[in-house]
Amino acid sequence: MAGIADFLDSLIGGFDLICYSFLMGGLFWGVFVLRPWSNSNTYNPLLLDKTIGLIYQGGFLLAAAQIFKIVLKIWLMTAVLERWPFPEFADTTQFIGGIIRAALTLIVSAYVYFVLRKHAFSKQHWWLACVVSLPMVISGAWLVHAAGRFDNRAFLMTFTVFHQLGAAAWVGGVLQLGNVWKLHKQQSIAIENWPQLLKVFSKFGMISVCFILLSGLPIALQYIDTLNALVGTGYGNLLMVKVVLLSLALGCAWLNRTAMLAYFANKQTSALFKRVPHYVEAETLVLITLLFTAASLASQPPAIDIPLLTASWQEVLNTFNPQIPQTTSPSHVALIAGEAGRVAIINQVPSLAATEWSNYNHNIAGLFLTVMSFFAMLSYTTKLPFTKYWPLGFVGLGIFLFFRSDAETWPLGPIGFWDSTFNNGEVLQHRIATLLVFLLGLFELTARITKNPLSKLPYFFPILSAFGGLMLLTHSHVGFQAKSAFLIQVGHTTMGIFALILSCGRWLELKLDKPGKDIAGFISVAALFLIGVILMFYREPLY
Amino acid sequence: MKNRQTWCSVLIVLLCMLRVNVANAHAVVTEYSLKLKPIHAQQADHIEISFNSKIELGLSQIYLVSKGDKHALLTVEMGHKQGQIIISVPALEAGEYAIRFKVFAADGHLTEDVIHFTVS
Repeated sequence: MAGIADFLDSLIGGFDLICYSFLMGGLFWGVFVLRPWSNSNTYNPLLLDKTIGLIYQGGFLLAAAQIFKIVLKIWLMTAVLERWPFPEFADTTQFIGGIIRAALTLIVSAYVYFVLRKHAFSKQHWWLACVVSLPMVISGAWLVHAAGRFDNRAFLMTFTVFHQLGAAAWVGGVLQLGNVWKLHKQQSIAIENWPQLLKVFSKFGMISVCFILLSGLPIALQYIDTLNALVGTGYGNLLMVKVVLLSLALGCAWLNRTAMLAYFANKQTSALFKRVPHYVEAETLVLITLLFTAASLASQPPAIDIPLLTASWQEVLNTFNPQIPQTTSPSHVALIAGEAGRVAIINQVPSLAATEWSNYNHNIAGLFLTVMSFFAMLSYTTKLPFTKYWPLGFVGLGIFLFFRSDAETWPLGPIGFWDSTFNNGEVLQHRIATLLVFLLGLFELTARITKNPLSKLPYFFPILSAFGGLMLLTHSHVGFQAKSAFLIQVGHTTMGIFALILSCGRWLELKLDKPGKDIAGFISVAALFLIGVILMFYREPLY
Repeated sequence: MKNRQTWCSVLIVLLCMLRVNVANAHAVVTEYSLKLKPIHAQQADHIEISFNSKIELGLSQIYLVSKGDKHALLTVEMGHKQGQIIISVPALEAGEYAIRFKVFAADGHLTEDVIHFTVS
């Protein structure tokens, strides 16, 4: 069961940050954007009730996540060390700090639930909630990456907390915007609330982004000492992914701001009420992915610590070098024969068969996706009815991956299905990805042939591909060669970004009107094509 | 309402599918004594390893791996420098060996890694 513990341990970091954003971002939203005490005539109690509801729900979930983190650490250590980790674990910063943070989070959440909820229009109570949350925010400093560092520890811990607060302010605000739109759609709030809050949040969001950049830059400079380290390490690579995701989210924010300014300048309502809510949805998707990437970054060794394991920019570029796809696979017998030597610690022998097996899997998957994206493009531009069946390719790809992903396990290899799935985090990840691809094909195919215009099935594709992208962004190959693992990671993270673009594009295609709909649809299919191209040229390092 | 519950269930399942990362590599070795001071055959010795992070020694395990990937647990103590551990190595025959460690860093990450060395 170590695989599940490992899997959940990695998941909980991102979940923690989302809950933190609901709690702290919600408080910032109340104090700086909503300001209910000076707008008591404009807001109704339901808006305040729902706003505060999101804050305390996020807080209680954050406390639960913190406790669950500790449980997972105990579980993971018991599995890895093959013994009960107490009493030693009780003396660690992680245990003590984790318990304290959970208790402090409960206090903040209880204050919001029992006190602020009943004094929702009181300035004093909103500010008091922020003061009550301060010890919880500070306690988080002992649970971050920097806590174990020797150099500039206090500086790094402090700036990481500032960085988290900046992110929480932005993400929490966007989540609250979604809540406002939901209430607007239900006609539960005044019609002017939506444009007004968008206007205030637009400024607040910009300040949050400045705060994120100003706090993040000194941390990055401490952890990444050269330009090559930015390109050639897992830490640098994930940081670049964060920058790309930040740019995507800022793109959505810019569209929102443009529409908001147009509304206040000449009362253009169509963009503000028809398009902006969907840009906010896409922005939310990008920001949630960004938080999970940030959590993933915290588990990477800082680039400054691994100068000898840093890949050169030429090696990184070489992973994208166009080459003829490998269409022949080594036999399963040859692969299994090389496995003992490959995984040995003493006298390890790199397996050419394993590398070629992996290349074949990736290249064929690339061919699947490239052909599918070609048919997807045709389905938009021509009247060939059979092209609408292009998602069938995902079903075929799912079946292909099921047999090929982990050749040492069932159905091809000697290790049983359950044993491999639940005791190896990487196999579990591959199994989930396979299921995801298979379901993606089934849902999208059904969505495209259904005659029901109100069907919700089309939304499965963007949701599933977003989660697929998230898995790619955080894909990790466990191994002892950090440089090889990184060279594998770099291709996966690039595909992860395109998968997220695919998802957002499709989502907006379903939601927007023309011409935005067509533009988003084209971008979506183009992203699918690019994922296919990267996979077709994929070459795994020999290890 | 039923429709909403179905959607919520699907979302929960999807959330459970998320994969962030394997907590496998935060504490890394920054230097080790084997580079400057090799182990000689038939002599008990010490190996010093420095990490980039504070290590919780009580929650860490260091193994000597010998031919055939046989593992033997070694005794370890904290070194004099920050993040340094000192491993006691018994007298060994000439050959290829490795130090395999599972260490718990102060930031909460479990790290596994291997250092290869030759006894001559």
